[in-house]
Amino acid sequence: MKLEVVRARAERFGGIVEVARPRALLHVDREMMRELGQPESPLWEPGEPAQAPLVAPTEVHLVLSRRCAAGCRGCYVDATPHGAALSAQEACGILDELSAMGVFHVALGGGEALELPYLFEIAAHARKVGITPNLTTSGLGLDEELAERCRVFGQINVSVDGVGEAYRRARGFDGFARAERALRLLRAVKEEVGVNCVVSRSSFDGLGSVACLVRKLRLNELELLRFKPVGRGAGIDEELSTDQARRIYPLARRLMLRHRIRVKLDCSFAPMVFWHRPSARAATFWGVQGCVAGDVLAAVSPEGCLQGCSFAGRAEADARVPGAIRAAWPDGFSSFRDFVHTAPEPCASCEYLRLCRGGCRAVAGAHGAFSAPDPGCPRVQEWTARSPLARRAGSFALPVVRA
Amino acid sequence: MPSRKGRVLRATFGCNPNSSSLGVDVTFLLFGATFAGTLALLLGALLRRQRVP
Repeated sequence: MKLEVVRARAERFGGIVEVARPRALLHVDREMMRELGQPESPLWEPGEPAQAPLVAPTEVHLVLSRRCAAGCRGCYVDATPHGAALSAQEACGILDELSAMGVFHVALGGGEALELPYLFEIAAHARKVGITPNLTTSGLGLDEELAERCRVFGQINVSVDGVGEAYRRARGFDGFARAERALRLLRAVKEEVGVNCVVSRSSFDGLGSVACLVRKLRLNELELLRFKPVGRGAGIDEELSTDQARRIYPLARRLMLRHRIRVKLDCSFAPMVFWHRPSARAATFWGVQGCVAGDVLAAVSPEGCLQGCSFAGRAEADARVPGAIRAAWPDGFSSFRDFVHTAPEPCASCEYLRLCRGGCRAVAGAHGAFSAPDPGCPRVQEWTARSPLARRAGSFALPVVRA
Repeated sequence: MPSRKGRVLRATFGCNPNSSSLGVDVTFLLFGATFAGTLALLLGALLRRQRVP
């Protein structure tokens, strides 16, 4: 058996190697890079800082538009039928720069990316410059012809926040049958098709049904995404209860074992996972970590703003300007990168701080304190309950700040 | 003295289509550090069989 190596880029610790079959990104040390025939890198010279960020993100989320006809009640980007969008030319220019930086993957989303007539032009351009384009879609407008064209993508996930009536409750309209049809059409043409499920207080109990659907349709993954009170989501009270936050990781493991499916939790669920004290060594090896903004991930908004994450963070540069992403990357994103050095209690004394990174900045920011510990973290909630000072400050009980 | 062999430090499988799912692959985290260490050795051996084009 051989691993099919696609490309590699040097990093201070060694490098990152992209493998096609099985599809993976492997961080390797300098010696392995040399064994793979990679040239010596200036990054390996003595004197290079050991704790510097990666030379580039491994993945960038391109929020192609705020354009979508569905009108979901909790839409994170406030999408409307005529919302802003990156043009094909702007998106392709950004892809050129990301490729030159060594970015491996892009996640294309919106809004509803399939509503853009030039989506496949962008995806083909990503392939042309060596980046794997992945897609999130509602699947609502997907037909056989579009499904066939979706072969260009790597992973495609269809948003399904519940089965049947649960879908309608979560999204505000009855779209389950169309989403399920999209999954069947996509699965007929490719294997890398999965489900995105936003886990909210009211969708939590229906996760088992979604896992059944993933197994029934022979999909390759179920991605559980924590509800975040941003965009139109800030207007609805759907954050997980304390009990649900503690149960989500054991539940995910149970769903995986019972249905024999791959289950992933998004980075904002990291505090809920680390509360159960998994092996830190294993978590490091598998790349399990909390906030990845400005680290392995960056995002570009439909207005061209380069951010650490599509949910939060200030604009670091106008990504549409050639060279701006490369210039901003090394020293920007301090609001994300500095958290591990400036973390307040109880994060400061948490053994998982370097992995968890204080949980989700978007959720913390939505509660009014971007640099505070994630208020949904069970450890933070326990600490708050124990500490009279924290209770008086009340920082973790702040309501979501609504515009 | 023979030179030290290169190592795989981290492995993430699959592609992420989302803005925020570079988080926890429950499938792999279920297995502990011993399994991760063994897989690192296996991946390293397989990698050496192919040089980057």
